[in-house]
Amino acid sequence: MVLTAGATLAVILFMTLTLMAVILGNSLGYFWVKGLVRFKLNDGSYVMGQLTAAESHALTKAKRLQLKVGNRDLYSQDFRWVDESEISSKDIPKDAYLLERFEHGNFFGFLKELKKADGSTVAADAAALQQAHSEIMKKQKGLKQIKGQMSDLNQSSEALRLKIQKLEYRGAEANSAAINSLNEERAKLTATFDGLNEKLNQQQAELGKVTAVFSDAAGADKELPLLEIVRFYQPNSMSIFAKAGAYLVKINELLFDDPRESNTEGGLFPAIFGTVMMVLLMSVFSLPFGVIAAIYLREYAKEGKLVQLVRIAVNNLAGVPSIVYGVFGLGFFVYGIGGSLDKLFFPERLPTPVFGTGGILWSSLTLALLTVPVVIVATEESLASIPKGIREGSLALGATKFQTLTKVLLPMATPGIMTGLVLSMARAVGEVAPLMMVGVVKLAPTLPFDTQFPFFHMDRKFMHLGFHIFDVGFQSPNVEAAKPMVYVTTLLLLLIVIAASSLAIRFRNQMRRRYTTSHF
Amino acid sequence: MASSIVDKSRRNDRLAAWLIKAGGLFVIVAVIGILLLIANVALPLFYSPSAEKLADVPAELQSLVASDASGTHQTRELGEKGNISVRLLPDNRIDVQRKMIEKDLLGNEKVSQQSYQLSDSLPGAISAVWLGRKGQNLYAATANGWLVRWDLADEGQGRLVETVEAFKDHRKITALTTLLGDTSLAVGDAKGQITTWMPVRKPGSGEDKQLTLIHHLPGFMQPVQRLVASPRDKSLAAFDAAGTIKLLHMTSERLLLELKAGSGVAAAAFADNGRKLVVAGSDGKVSVWKLSIPHPEVSFSTLFGKVWYEGYDKPEYVWQSSAATDDFEAKISLMPLIFGTFKATLFAMLFAVPLALLGALYTSQFMSSTLKGRIKPAVEIMAAVPSVVIGFLAGLWLAPLMDKNLLMLFLAVVIVPAMLLIAVFSWKAVADTAVGRRLKGYEFICMMPVVLLGLWLSGLIAPPLEATLFGADLKQWLYSSLGVRYDQRNSIIIAIALGFAVIPIIFTIAEDALSNVPRNLAAASLALGASRWQTAWRVILPSALPGVFSAIMIGFGRAVGETMIVLMATGNTPIMSWSLFNGLRSLSANIAVEIPEAPLFGTLYRTLFLSAVLLFVLTFIINTAAELLRQRFRKKYGRY
Repeated sequence: MVLTAGATLAVILFMTLTLMAVILGNSLGYFWVKGLVRFKLNDGSYVMGQLTAAESHALTKAKRLQLKVGNRDLYSQDFRWVDESEISSKDIPKDAYLLERFEHGNFFGFLKELKKADGSTVAADAAALQQAHSEIMKKQKGLKQIKGQMSDLNQSSEALRLKIQKLEYRGAEANSAAINSLNEERAKLTATFDGLNEKLNQQQAELGKVTAVFSDAAGADKELPLLEIVRFYQPNSMSIFAKAGAYLVKINELLFDDPRESNTEGGLFPAIFGTVMMVLLMSVFSLPFGVIAAIYLREYAKEGKLVQLVRIAVNNLAGVPSIVYGVFGLGFFVYGIGGSLDKLFFPERLPTPVFGTGGILWSSLTLALLTVPVVIVATEESLASIPKGIREGSLALGATKFQTLTKVLLPMATPGIMTGLVLSMARAVGEVAPLMMVGVVKLAPTLPFDTQFPFFHMDRKFMHLGFHIFDVGFQSPNVEAAKPMVYVTTLLLLLIVIAASSLAIRFRNQMRRRYTTSHF
Repeated sequence: MASSIVDKSRRNDRLAAWLIKAGGLFVIVAVIGILLLIANVALPLFYSPSAEKLADVPAELQSLVASDASGTHQTRELGEKGNISVRLLPDNRIDVQRKMIEKDLLGNEKVSQQSYQLSDSLPGAISAVWLGRKGQNLYAATANGWLVRWDLADEGQGRLVETVEAFKDHRKITALTTLLGDTSLAVGDAKGQITTWMPVRKPGSGEDKQLTLIHHLPGFMQPVQRLVASPRDKSLAAFDAAGTIKLLHMTSERLLLELKAGSGVAAAAFADNGRKLVVAGSDGKVSVWKLSIPHPEVSFSTLFGKVWYEGYDKPEYVWQSSAATDDFEAKISLMPLIFGTFKATLFAMLFAVPLALLGALYTSQFMSSTLKGRIKPAVEIMAAVPSVVIGFLAGLWLAPLMDKNLLMLFLAVVIVPAMLLIAVFSWKAVADTAVGRRLKGYEFICMMPVVLLGLWLSGLIAPPLEATLFGADLKQWLYSSLGVRYDQRNSIIIAIALGFAVIPIIFTIAEDALSNVPRNLAAASLALGASRWQTAWRVILPSALPGVFSAIMIGFGRAVGETMIVLMATGNTPIMSWSLFNGLRSLSANIAVEIPEAPLFGTLYRTLFLSAVLLFVLTFIINTAAELLRQRFRKKYGRY
């Protein structure tokens, strides 16, 4: 029987390991540049792609292979099953290209020629393509400046529009002079904006004229502007080191770039940023309240029925389903407080809400409420573990209760408080359900922090790693192609959570070790 | 100088004490505040409606309401297609006039006129007629309690569909009207009763549907004089001869409001899209009421009871909050969701509790202490895995995998425990040797390969077995032979995923409780000659029972409220079936799915808040009970 019990533990650990293994196995390989295989089929046609899976039929034992054939714009699907019996020969073409594109996913094919902006063609090899591509990318970067100017103009114009709206709300007649001058100013901005826009379009069109002609495995030609190519490889002639380099480049992209193709490719930067900022903001709210409540319970309140009730209330707060917090956040913060703020300060913008809709502020407040019990329990525990003699010693030396608290107890309890903080952060990072109601979105156009006054935009919606998993994995149109990205996001989220939890466990053990031996 | 510092620090101390007390109390108030605020949003669902009498309408407007849609001559405008009108003739026949406008491609209109008479022999004299708003169905009622239905859809003739003996006591039927959507017929009779009827497929009668009594609405003491349907929802206004007006809702069978007109009623109609009721009295006065009935479809029975909805063959529990059409009957029974919540929780607990408890027992009693120091953090990290990660893996990895290898899973359920049993027995042979003693406390590591071996073996057997026994497709076989429908995201997936989420919670708390049982109890038991297992099972476990029980309850509370896993790993179908192979929808997932589309302060919005209150109260009760148990346990054995 002892062994049966041991076996259940083995099953639990096995499940945990499986979870880790599945996530690691599916995500780590995603950035490794896989080789391209070309099959000649029995009917004489060619298929090229990356091998992704193989299975054999249950009855006939016939094997079939799954290829990622890419070229979504040509074939309208990313994957294709090929029966092994259909294949007449297989080769690994050295000169095959893998293009990562800004749209339509990857392209697999062969380079035929390069076309310059004036229409002249150049016979092409990888080096020439590389040179032309980096040139185009450099010019494209130059355009970023114009784009930045345009976005600044756009924001100034929006600010003016809101000002005009406010004046009109206060009385269009009385403020007509001011409104007119603002309108003129705005018209000027719009004109400048249009000019820049035209310039940008022109230059972009110019850049778009530089193209490369590729042919796919079947021989169909496809002319692609270099502008549309993110990067390209010849995977079959890459060395291990080149592949490792490409791997690092892609990880860099993952951490610091914006997402592409409705979040299924590119980077996770806005989601990481949103998650981190939301969690930090949450800690600002939850830490002080949690610590104060714990101090009250442990140091100030007199033990009795009331304190027992309060403990039960706090434990309950920890056990309330997170979705209930979401509902509360929606009803109280968003519609209640947010709606009132709008009525008070932004009546001219109604019915368009400013604070009366989900945003990062409401999300952090909701999660703060959700994680306060974690901080309370951890702080209380660490205060409780400080031997009574220390308190009495401090008081005997003439310190007030408050001085004892700030100068003696709190510094000693810091590791415990840190445990609570980190644990609450770990919980907040992984919590998705309440956020779905109070401000998380699949794609936020702007970060909640930028160079525009007042820098922190509490009313903005934000992106979140956990929601990213749910959204891309369950609500994107092409789930199969999006899966690797979801695994990568999952791994990232899991790493953050595990790192935070390990840190918390470490703090706690430190705390325990310090005081369990030092009883007076 | 010194005294001022002391004063200052005393002042600070008092200030701080005050602030800390305020902060502490704030947190407590917040807990109660949350419940109150959510409940406050849900509460208006149960407010009673009200009506405000507006000024009487000037006499010159009286003609506008003088003729309402009932009476013996009724006309229905059919938009661009023309109109249709019926007239009750004195000889118990009905005259039908139909004007048809046809437009050709060029926009030329062709008007044709049809006229025919319905002269079917009827069981009694017609006492009320009602032509459906779409001009398709014609209903008539007789003075001796029969209902007659014609179908006027065909051109040039009306087809008698059925005559139904509505009331066995042959009472006179006095008023008819169809409710919004033209599916249900409201019938008022001479005894003051109001009932609604709709065509229902009878078992054995094939395609034909028969008018069936569905709802009894609150009636009058004297004959019903008139029924007027609301254009806004499935409610109606009923009038008796004395001028009493009752506003009723069909689905909830609620008496919404009772109003009093000064005298008998000559005509009545709803105005302002059902927000106002206009009544012309027989004394020539016209009264207007402004109605405020925010949630007529909500009652205790629609939220928690079986209701016979339009288009259904029998009363059922249904959650279907919205549909494409306006005349849709909202189905807001919370029962399928509560059922789904408990089904998911129950299956998850069946999976998690044995694993977690036995694992905790092993960890606390038999495991070597060095290993214990490693395992406990591992389980704590397992607890930190975000639910969205578990849900994602369950929905997109486990569900398709199981879809492909269903038989393997079933085999594994049998083979893995069997292999473990074999391993346990063969262990006995080595247990007393030197090797066995050294491995004491590490047994479970030896079990890992056995689990793997079992899985591998079932994977090996499954495909040929499936090919020979079930024609290579177990799911198809299940459906065709047993009639069991298989959903890819089903309750087994939920049990595993949700179980995975609650195992570490139960494990940690139960392990704590088991470890805190004083060692001298175990030592005494062992000294009396009990085996390790006997000691753990008969001495340690009963002593720690309150703590273990509270662990299970806290796990239960977590499973009840878990949202993301249930949202991602089920198909979110609100059905009530105990089948392992079907999906479900839980209260929490339902909130997440529906609240983005719920209009602010609408019925759906408030109903979702109500389900949040239910969740809150449920977990509150469970957690409080668990906490009380735990405190009692602590008192028994001290804290450390």
